[in-house]
Amino acid sequence: MTRAHQFGRADLPEEQQVALKKAVFWEWFTIAYTTCTITLVAFVVGNSQAMRTAWIEDMLSLIPQFAFLIALVFVRRRPDRKHPYGMHRAMGVGHLVAGVALFTVGLNLAVEAVSGLVAAEHPTIGTVQLFGHTIWLGWLMVAVMILVVVGPVFIYGPAKARLAPVLHNKLLYTDADMAKADWQTNAASIVGVLGIGVGVWWLDGAAALFISLGIIWDGFRNTRSAVVDLMDQRATTYDDKHPHPLAARIVETLRSQPWVADAAVRMRDQGQVFHVEAFVVPRRRRVSLKHIDQASEQVAALDWKVQDVVIVPSDRLPDEADAAG
Amino acid sequence: MTDFTRRRAAPFARGAAAAAVLAVTALLISACGVTVPSDPDGTLDAVTGGTIEVGVSPDPGLVDTREDEPRGPLVDIVEGFASSLDARVEWTVASEETLVGDLETGDLDLAVGGFTDQTPWSDRAGVTRGYTSIEGADGRSLVFLVPLGENALLSELEAFLDEEVGS
Repeated sequence: MTRAHQFGRADLPEEQQVALKKAVFWEWFTIAYTTCTITLVAFVVGNSQAMRTAWIEDMLSLIPQFAFLIALVFVRRRPDRKHPYGMHRAMGVGHLVAGVALFTVGLNLAVEAVSGLVAAEHPTIGTVQLFGHTIWLGWLMVAVMILVVVGPVFIYGPAKARLAPVLHNKLLYTDADMAKADWQTNAASIVGVLGIGVGVWWLDGAAALFISLGIIWDGFRNTRSAVVDLMDQRATTYDDKHPHPLAARIVETLRSQPWVADAAVRMRDQGQVFHVEAFVVPRRRRVSLKHIDQASEQVAALDWKVQDVVIVPSDRLPDEADAAG
Repeated sequence: MTDFTRRRAAPFARGAAAAAVLAVTALLISACGVTVPSDPDGTLDAVTGGTIEVGVSPDPGLVDTREDEPRGPLVDIVEGFASSLDARVEWTVASEETLVGDLETGDLDLAVGGFTDQTPWSDRAGVTRGYTSIEGADGRSLVFLVPLGENALLSELEAFLDEEVGS
C-alpha cells in the first residue's frame, strides 16, 4: 500500500503543523491568562451576582482549552486494529463535554439570577481600604473587568480564530468565538455593578441573567455542533455554516476519470480529518483495481483532510450520498 | 477570504462599542448628579439630620443593656457615627434574629452586638468589614449590620469606622 492509502492519518502537512503548534501555545497562554484573571476577580467579586456569574464564566472558559489539549494526545495516535478509524473523534468528544458543561452551569446561574430578582435581594457592596483610603469596592470591580477583557478580545480570541479554519477545528473555532464575545460579559457585569452604585439594585440581577443566557447559548451551540458531527452529519465547514466544499471537489475528481460514469460521496467529519466513502458507477461492468487505486490516490491528494478514502464501485448511486448538486 | 477579513476587524469594532457603552453610562451617572454608591431605599438620606433606628443585642464587654440606655464600646461608636450625621439614636434592644428581621422590614437602620465577620446573618443583612481593634473585641473581628443593599449607608459607616477604630 502506498503512503497515501494510510487510514486515519495522524500526521499533518507543514502549514497545519505550524498552526497546531501555535494553537497549543495559545491554549496554554489562555489557561495562564485566565488563571490570573480568575485570581484577580476573586479579590473583588463581592456580593454582586453579575460579578459572580462573570467569574464562573471565566472558570468555565478553561474547559475548552483542557478539552483541546487532552483530545490532542489521542488524535495523534495512529489507527490500529482495535481503533481502525484512529482516535480523531476525541476532539468531538471534548467539544461535547465542553458544550454540556457550559449549558448546565449556564442554566444553574440563570436560575440563581432569576430567583435573586424574584426575591428582590438587594446586592450589598461596601468599601475597601486601599493605601489608607476608603474606596467603594464597586469601582475596583469595574476597573478589574475593564482590565481583564483585553486578553480574550484583543489577544488570544483573534489568534485562535485565525488558526481554527487552517486546522479545520471546530472546538478551537467556537472557543475563539466565545473569547471574542467575552466583552459582552464584562460590559454586562460593569453595568450591573454601576447599577448597584446608583441604587438600581435589580440591574445586577438583570446583568447576571444576561450573562448566564449567553453561557446557555454557547453551551447549546457547542453541544448541537458536537452532537451532529458525532452522529455523522455530512461534513461542514469549520463554522457549521455550509456543506464542506471538498465533497464537490471529490465528486468532480471522480467524474473526470474516463472509466467513471457517475459518482457521489458520503463524507463525515472525524474531528480534524474526514472519512470519505466514494460511490462510483463505472461505464463498463469490469473495473480494474489499478483504476480504483489511482482514483483513491487522486482524491487523497486533494487535501490533507481526506486521507481516509474508500472507493466503492456500485450499480447505482445511493440516494443519501452527496452527488454535489 | 472576505469573510475572514471582516472577522479580524470585529474585535476592534466591539472594543469601541464597549467603550462607548461605558462612556455613555458614566455620562448618565454624572449627569443625574447621583452619588455612588447610593441606597435603593434612601436610608442614609433619611437618617442624616434625623433619627437613626439602631438595634442592639447584649454582649458582655461590648453592649450592656441592663439599664435604661444601652452602654458599652459599641454603643459609643454608634453614638459617634450618629453625631457625624447630625442624627439622634433611637435604641431597640432585642435578640439577634429579631434585629435582623427588623433590618429586613426597614424598621431598623443599623444593628450592633457581638456580630463577627463569621456571622450567619450575612444572607439577610449587609455586613461591614471586620474591625478587630474595638475595645472589648477580645480578638474577635467585629462587624455592624445594615439593611441589605443600602450601600451608601454601609460605605459611610465603614469610612467612619476606618477613621475611628482603624481596620
